Amino acid sequence: MSGELLWYLSRATGVVSLVLLTIVVALGTVTAGRRNPHGPNATVVMAMHRWLSLGMSAFLITHIGTAIVDGYVTIGWLSVLVPFTSGYETLWVGLGTLAVDLLVAVIATSLLRHRIPERTWRLVHWFAYAMWPIAVVHGFAMGTADQPLLRYTTIACGIAGAACAAWRLVNTSADREQRRAIAAQEWT
Amino acid sequence: MSAMSILDELAEAGLTGRGGAGFPAAVKVRAAHENRAALIVNCCDGEVGAVKDGWVVAHHLPQVRAGVELVLPTGRRRPPVVYAAHRGSATAARLREDGLDVLEAPPRYVSSEETALISLWHGGHARPMTKREPFVRGGRDSQGRRIRPTVVLNAETLWRVAQVRAHGPAWFAAQGTPAEPGPRLLAVRGAVTAPGVLETAAGMPFPAIFEAARGLRPGVEYVLVGGLGGVLLSRWEAESTTWSTPGLAPFGGTPGPGIVEALDPARCPAQVIAELLAYGAGESAGQCGPCMFGLPSIAADWAELTDAAHPAAFETTLARLRARVGLVAGRGACRHPDGVARLTASALRTLTPHLRDHTHGRCTARSLTHAH
Repeated sequence: MSGELLWYLSRATGVVSLVLLTIVVALGTVTAGRRNPHGPNATVVMAMHRWLSLGMSAFLITHIGTAIVDGYVTIGWLSVLVPFTSGYETLWVGLGTLAVDLLVAVIATSLLRHRIPERTWRLVHWFAYAMWPIAVVHGFAMGTADQPLLRYTTIACGIAGAACAAWRLVNTSADREQRRAIAAQEWT
Repeated sequence: MSAMSILDELAEAGLTGRGGAGFPAAVKVRAAHENRAALIVNCCDGEVGAVKDGWVVAHHLPQVRAGVELVLPTGRRRPPVVYAAHRGSATAARLREDGLDVLEAPPRYVSSEETALISLWHGGHARPMTKREPFVRGGRDSQGRRIRPTVVLNAETLWRVAQVRAHGPAWFAAQGTPAEPGPRLLAVRGAVTAPGVLETAAGMPFPAIFEAARGLRPGVEYVLVGGLGGVLLSRWEAESTTWSTPGLAPFGGTPGPGIVEALDPARCPAQVIAELLAYGAGESAGQCGPCMFGLPSIAADWAELTDAAHPAAFETTLARLRARVGLVAGRGACRHPDGVARLTASALRTLTPHLRDHTHGRCTARSLTHAH
């Protein structure tokens, strides 16, 4: 495969990864706190959140691998995990690396969820809220201006994800409010 | 010094925990030794109407302290010991006067439950924790924080430990019934001539209990055995049985934490139960759904039954309440919902005719305040 083809493959898988990641984050925000949805739907949403995230990893691995081996631009293997070491677009590639590091931590703790304390898993999972915007900025900055479709896709992802995160922040539920009210009583 | 170890003595005496659950003390103390567990002495009197732990601290604190020394494992490093009492209580003040390390629990119902005290002592909320395994072996709370091996023993239990050592297992086992040996404290309260703490044993007939309190006041119709987590008996049911596990089993009750209350005949018994259930609903720690949502629903259903004006609406609510009572037991981190469900079921059994009278605008206790 020529370097140019690999470069196109890398860009395509990058965009697909971002779209899938946004869907995973959106599914995560609607299940977090167990507010919505309920019953069997919750199981479906939860399963999609889990399996799509692993499916997304396949695209992401292709995205990273092809970006490095294509030879069209110079990005070393070190840049997979160590941010800001790429010769090409040091800052924007570095953000992508940072997002990958956070994603690895989130996925690893989720796979080990039953073997580690719940609060450790939760703490690390909160980093998804940092990882996703970093990935969006990386995608937006790297998406070339001559491909409006790629750029619009990234912008659409940003809007959709931000809307879900905002909904997560403002939405309340009787369950959570009551737990919070009772926890605020005198317990120590 | 006895030739027997305290573990053998406790096993031979058949001492069980006096906090209400009745777990064999020898098994608990043995596990505490094996894990070098810290000891929390529960002096909270957390159950509604309980006073006996405070009574033990007031009258037998040296013996309780002797019991503590007996159950602590021998060896160079002594596990920590702390005495738990409700904040601001006379019991807490008395323990402090004696120079003891006091764990001040918030004066609430579930906060004196053993895992709630363990959580509080570890710097967490005084709210019950899920026992994945007994905390005498250590474990983690729901946040994943490490909990060191800790055992909780009731103040009366430790006094009994000292008595077993002082008088011997045979002396202990000769009292009470073969299945429930040993002396026990019983708080007798409510509509009796002389309320107070009675030094008795399992198997005492209720008429003898009332006699020891110099008689029931005239007109008493109902007796609450065991507080909020107990059962409601009609006076005649109570007078036909004994204060013991087999005696109370037909009514769903146990001697539990040692409380017998004769309900004030001037008050509507359904109203008394309504207040208890409302209190119980408000005391949920808000951790387990069946408790946090179930108990307020049960209390609301009961209030609806006491106020129902139409027999048809009454029967609908009654069926719903019966279904709900069966849904909460065994589904919480602690036994609070089980206790409230038990009380509700027994009150339904005892008071359904009385509640039906309400729908016709009648109440045998004429101080009924709500309008019909």
